[in-house]
Amino acid sequence: MTALPFPDTVRVDAYDKVRGRPIYGSDDVRPGLLHAALAVATIAKGRITGIDTKAARAVPGVRLVLTHERMGAIKSAGFLMGGGYGFQSFQPMLSPAIAYRGQPIALVAADTLEQAIEAAHLVKASYAQEPISVTLDSPGVEVVNQADTPLKNFIPEIVAGDADKAFTEAPVKIEAVFNCPPQHQNPIELIATVAEWQGGKLTIREGTQNAEAVRHGVAAALGIAQELVDVISPFVGGGFGQKNSLQMQTVLAAVAARETGRPVKLVVPRAGVFHDASFRPASRHHIRLGADRSGKMVAAIHEVDAQTSRHDLFPGEYTATSSRLYGFGSFRGVERLVRTDVQTPGYMRAPFEHPACFAMECCVDELAYALGQDPVALRLANDTATDAATGLPFSSRHFAECLRRGAELFGWAGRSMAPQSMHVGDGSQIGWGMAVGAYPGLTTPTIAHLKVSDDGEVVIGIGGHEMGQGIRTALADAISRKLGVAAEKVRAVIGDTRVAPQHLTAGSWGTASAIPAAEDAADAMLKALAELSPAGVAGRTPAEILKAAGRRSLEVEVQRKAPGQPDAIFGRLRAGLPSVGGPVYGSYVTFSYIAHFVEVRIEPGTRRIRVPRVVSVADCGRVMSPRTAASQVRGGVVWGIGAALREASEVDPRYGGFLNADLADYVLPVNADIGSIEVEFIDKPDTTFNSAGVKGLGEVALTGVAPAIANAVFHATGRRLR
Amino acid sequence: MTTVLGADADGAAGSESGRVAITLSVNGQARSVEIDPRTSLLDLLRERLGLAGAKKGCDHGQCGACTVHLDGRRVVSCLTPAVQTNGRAVTTIEGLHGPDGELHPMQQAFVDHDALQCGYCTPGQIMAAVACVEEGHAGSSEQIREFMSGNLCRCGAYVGIVAAIEDAAAKMRRT
Repeated sequence: MTALPFPDTVRVDAYDKVRGRPIYGSDDVRPGLLHAALAVATIAKGRITGIDTKAARAVPGVRLVLTHERMGAIKSAGFLMGGGYGFQSFQPMLSPAIAYRGQPIALVAADTLEQAIEAAHLVKASYAQEPISVTLDSPGVEVVNQADTPLKNFIPEIVAGDADKAFTEAPVKIEAVFNCPPQHQNPIELIATVAEWQGGKLTIREGTQNAEAVRHGVAAALGIAQELVDVISPFVGGGFGQKNSLQMQTVLAAVAARETGRPVKLVVPRAGVFHDASFRPASRHHIRLGADRSGKMVAAIHEVDAQTSRHDLFPGEYTATSSRLYGFGSFRGVERLVRTDVQTPGYMRAPFEHPACFAMECCVDELAYALGQDPVALRLANDTATDAATGLPFSSRHFAECLRRGAELFGWAGRSMAPQSMHVGDGSQIGWGMAVGAYPGLTTPTIAHLKVSDDGEVVIGIGGHEMGQGIRTALADAISRKLGVAAEKVRAVIGDTRVAPQHLTAGSWGTASAIPAAEDAADAMLKALAELSPAGVAGRTPAEILKAAGRRSLEVEVQRKAPGQPDAIFGRLRAGLPSVGGPVYGSYVTFSYIAHFVEVRIEPGTRRIRVPRVVSVADCGRVMSPRTAASQVRGGVVWGIGAALREASEVDPRYGGFLNADLADYVLPVNADIGSIEVEFIDKPDTTFNSAGVKGLGEVALTGVAPAIANAVFHATGRRLR
Repeated sequence: MTTVLGADADGAAGSESGRVAITLSVNGQARSVEIDPRTSLLDLLRERLGLAGAKKGCDHGQCGACTVHLDGRRVVSCLTPAVQTNGRAVTTIEGLHGPDGELHPMQQAFVDHDALQCGYCTPGQIMAAVACVEEGHAGSSEQIREFMSGNLCRCGAYVGIVAAIEDAAAKMRRT
């Protein structure tokens, strides 16, 4: 089956989306619904010394004002990366403590949204303030070497050979420091919850990438059994890592709904999304790259300082990817975490891999110029079949094909090497740059229920969340091919804790985890159908077989885990805890790869940088859904353009918080910023990795775009952007 | 009984409770509602009228996810006070389809060109796209890009959106 490419089929949920169907969490409206609004801290650190809610309570229509004094026996659900369920361990409104500017201090629930917003503005607090440290260089930060913490037990240090000695002895050396600003995911769907209690059971409707953590986290916070909580999240209006765990507002909405006895909708305003949810931390990358005179990279040292919060250590995994780009003769990675007074930062699309590839791939371009070698040729000469960090083989690595095909499509051979050597008639400088990216191949355990009915309906209930990446379409394609039914007849029920455990969907593991499980379920179904039909199943649909056997329906359940994971992993899965395997799988290592080729034009008067043309060629194993996969890559390129040229969350070290906390001042790429983006896939299945041959795609798409742009800017101008 | 305290230029009527009675046409149907005068058209549509197609992405007129048509022109409904729509005609994504429920050429083009991913900005993109064509701003891909830059797509479906609008524009001109 994996021998054949998948056809270009329509995204199965496109029709609901173009019709504007109410498929997102906050689209929900139900009888008796109250609307909630938050009041937030106006200091960056300290504690509340007094809070006055009298005026808020006097607003007509107000049903409830919650503060830390009225929350009752609620506790933190813990930090996702610390054995818990939340984006951070700090749950606002459980004490007078203020850990960061913009932290919620009160919730108002009222009959209408307008009443709730008015009343929230009338909540007045007095504070005792404390000094703050909010940037990597602020006095008062605490620097923690990750290898000295328990984090080293699941995020191994990357050390291969004696990189310091090899670098010292290398005849050609590149050394550079890169500063990456904080950035915010900014899915257009705000974080929001509709909470409703019925007969002692709580139902949460919200867009999340991790319905199971929301379920278990809310239960833990409220001190109730998780069986009393259902989480329903069929569609996410963009996640990009921000919605990867229990958000702070879910518990608040649940408490408000319990206190009032009515369903409560809490939509966090855009400014709140900047302050009350995760973000990409500021990071600084010190790279030392050594090569011999032929260009062989003999040493790389990558030291990272990345921001975290006072209350949590958000682990850094930057060097896990930079070390896998080439066959480095030696490598040493260092990850340091810098405690600052912010909400805990977190995962934003290619959270580590984008900054890591930016730093390393800019240095590789500098190396090419130091050697006088073509940047593509230098990269091809440093390709490897063996992982430098572990000595294990890669399960598949079509890195060179990505480079060669990309160079051909782009017309790279027509490039002149010298900076400032290409112009157009209006005086714009042209720069052609390229870079590669990589992303680990990760897998999670998955449980799938497949049901076929004699009326032709096929329903798969499986762990997974649809946030635009097209997992519903990939599931439909996979089941359709196995069972010989039309893709539009396959209904996928996902993001719903009532049908199957809903592991976090992130890290580009969604398809590589769900598709093999779905195919296993389909194989189990074919076997079950064969038992019903001694005459054989060939050429007959499941519905025909069921009808002939006099059965209304047939159901199977399968479970599947990452290679090498113990059976106990299913316990973690059912408990809503992260259960990720890879990229090292005992006897091999799996990564996805991409090569980007970029043209920039620098306008002569304004020096504005435009990106009229990008060519991207990806190795993500088998492409399950060509149409949605190409869209994913184009989206990743748009993200890279934003990351390189537009997006930075601005911080004032005096006041804390983020200054540009709206969509006018946090500048996302708009339509006019984007030109041609040409995408191709190698489309070779990696059947060592899994039976479907699928590797991850959504995140690798972004990696390498920013350095390709920076390298193109150097080619146009002779200036390095760091 | 409602006591009419006064009427503004659009004829919206105030009441003793501070609420205002308005009547507007939504997707061709007359709708009469009493609202808090602070209510935005977006919140009216989503929370009162059962039309959740228009989306809230910023509530500041910065993202375009709430785009609807007011008397045939595109507006961001989050910055449009609902009282201003009294006596006027609003069209939302739910009213764009044809008489038998068939997709508008722009909706079909968004499907055909996969001009969406998560789908959250899509209703606003489509309403803006229809207006972009009707305004005469879909003459070239460059012009489309400029006149669609008020609608953010964080998934980055811009290439598909431009292709869909070029495709649909040709079909809309023929009909």
